[in-house]
Amino acid sequence: MSGATTPAEQAAPPLYWQVQRRRNGDLFGLFAVVVVFLAAYGFLFPGFFTLPGFAKFTQSWFPLALVAMAQAILMLTGGISLAIGAMVSLGAVIAATTMAGPLGVGGGTAVVALAGLGIGAATGLIVVKLRLPAIVVTLAGSFIVGGAALLILPRPGGAVPMWLSDMLAGNTPVAFLILVVIVVLWKIYLATPLGLAIYAAGENPVGAYRSGIRVDRVLVSAYAISGLLSACAGLFVAAQTGSGDPVIGTAFTLNSIAAAVLGGIGFLGGQGSMRGALAGSLLLSLMISVMFFLGFTPVAQYVAQGLIIIGAVAIPQFRRKR
Amino acid sequence: MMKSLFCSTASALCLALAFSIGAASDASAAAKCIKGDRKAPFTIGWANIYSVPTWMKQTQGTIEAEVEELKKQGLVDKLVVTDAQGDANVQIQQIQSMIDSDVDAIILIAGSSTAPARVVADACAKGIAIINFDSLVDSEDVTAKVNTDSNQWGDQAAKFLINAIGGKGKILVLNGPAGISVSDDRRKGANAALAANPDVKILAETNTAYNVAPAQEAVTSLLFANPEIDGILSLGGALSAGAILALDKQGRPMVPITGENARQFLELWKEKGLTSWATMQPNWLGAFSTYIAVQALQGKDIPAFVKVPLPIIDNSNIDQYLAKAGDFPADGYIYSPYDHALFDKMLAEQ
Repeated sequence: MSGATTPAEQAAPPLYWQVQRRRNGDLFGLFAVVVVFLAAYGFLFPGFFTLPGFAKFTQSWFPLALVAMAQAILMLTGGISLAIGAMVSLGAVIAATTMAGPLGVGGGTAVVALAGLGIGAATGLIVVKLRLPAIVVTLAGSFIVGGAALLILPRPGGAVPMWLSDMLAGNTPVAFLILVVIVVLWKIYLATPLGLAIYAAGENPVGAYRSGIRVDRVLVSAYAISGLLSACAGLFVAAQTGSGDPVIGTAFTLNSIAAAVLGGIGFLGGQGSMRGALAGSLLLSLMISVMFFLGFTPVAQYVAQGLIIIGAVAIPQFRRKR
Repeated sequence: MMKSLFCSTASALCLALAFSIGAASDASAAAKCIKGDRKAPFTIGWANIYSVPTWMKQTQGTIEAEVEELKKQGLVDKLVVTDAQGDANVQIQQIQSMIDSDVDAIILIAGSSTAPARVVADACAKGIAIINFDSLVDSEDVTAKVNTDSNQWGDQAAKFLINAIGGKGKILVLNGPAGISVSDDRRKGANAALAANPDVKILAETNTAYNVAPAQEAVTSLLFANPEIDGILSLGGALSAGAILALDKQGRPMVPITGENARQFLELWKEKGLTSWATMQPNWLGAFSTYIAVQALQGKDIPAFVKVPLPIIDNSNIDQYLAKAGDFPADGYIYSPYDHALFDKMLAEQ
């Protein structure tokens, strides 16, 4: 870090690192708060540093991390989705009704992925081709998808093979490794034309279009990926709980928006970064465990949650003024 | 290969069965999940799904009172409370945190009948007593489930109403929300009695939230459509209060109404001079579950399902309940009295 002041670097750091530094700078406060919470959690619960302890914690975080990413992609394009929770529920009930049957885990995963991609892409097409506001389309979509989940599984039930539950949500951090892979894939996607154009399409769609970016295609892909991530979060929840529940995802809609906004992603598109959304979701998840170990009563937790969120968002503002 | 695997599995099962029979016949058998390595005073975790509704606040009140009582006896030293704010995923994480902090018992109202099954099994494997009441989880890996019988609730209500209207007449049926197991089960419980009395005609049924206002609105529109009504089979306390208010607003004569121990319903019942019947999902299920947890941790055998008999309120004993009304919130539930003697009696009767 101290090397930042050497003349050579001051003169001409490559553009990539300039961009990265700017993005990290806005997130300094959030990262600091997350690190403090991680340290506090490790101090309060030393079992966190054992493999099962780490695995269990990352499993609590994993579905929220996926939906935060699903929401962040859309918000970067200037869109939003109110159907994330319903998609999680749908993914969960599809997994719980197909995997124990003739399709098996492979077939079930494929159906979940196809449903996520397909519904996401369809939503994107409606938003793009009919030029309707994303918030309205996805609100309607949440009723349709939520209803479909209830049709597939009217009451909680179904089953996911035990070995899958034990693999994804057992005592090994498989979920965390999958998250690492997803983040790497996201980095690769950002290097493709479709990925590169996300920021441009979000910040200035007309300008992006005039510079030759096929904005429609960028948006539809973003919606499809968002649907895929949400449905996969549902699959994980089904594995984690061993069964399906048609309304299990409801809370994820609001939590995904909270995580993304906490991570510095703006509602207007083109502002923020995926690492912010991930850190935001990590903080939301950490808060629940840390406040439990601090022995806060539920009412004190509500107040503390609000204060922490304001603090994490406000710290960069103080830095900027100075 | 498959065959030998099957054989060995089968023989292992037989062996396990033989052992479990042997264990069950042992008089001092411990309850499920209990390993006997936890010593008093115990730490109790109360994993609530949603703390805001009045019923939940009153229920938490009975748990806190019970913990104070057990603290005096030196059996409990700490109560840890979590509130998942209605989110079943958060409840899983909070139960995991309770396991991580090594509580001795977890008292649970499940936010989903399936979601907590695996984390509860993890807790059970660690020797933590799990007592699940009210909203039950679909898992065998708990020390005990404690609840009233929703089918019986509907059955007894239907029988009272049929009797009160002389075996024939036109009735309305007021249900809780559609697709909720409690609401479904109460309605199903009423079926047998209704089928046995074909002279009792159901004019209409409603599905509303367990609140006064929507029930009043639904009944009001049904009253316009049906000039003649002999009785109302209400399967929830606040629904009954809504029905009485609707009848009263239109100046219609009062008819027999079933219901629950909601304070508002009981007060209207007395005020309007009804012939009615009410039962309850007692708030002290919370206290009882806490008591059972400590009993189990001390090595007592506890049945896997503790069925709590439904207390009945009718015209003969409603005054006893109303005499205590001031001790309960205006929008709350007047529950029957309880003490350890009652708890011991119910456990002995299982």
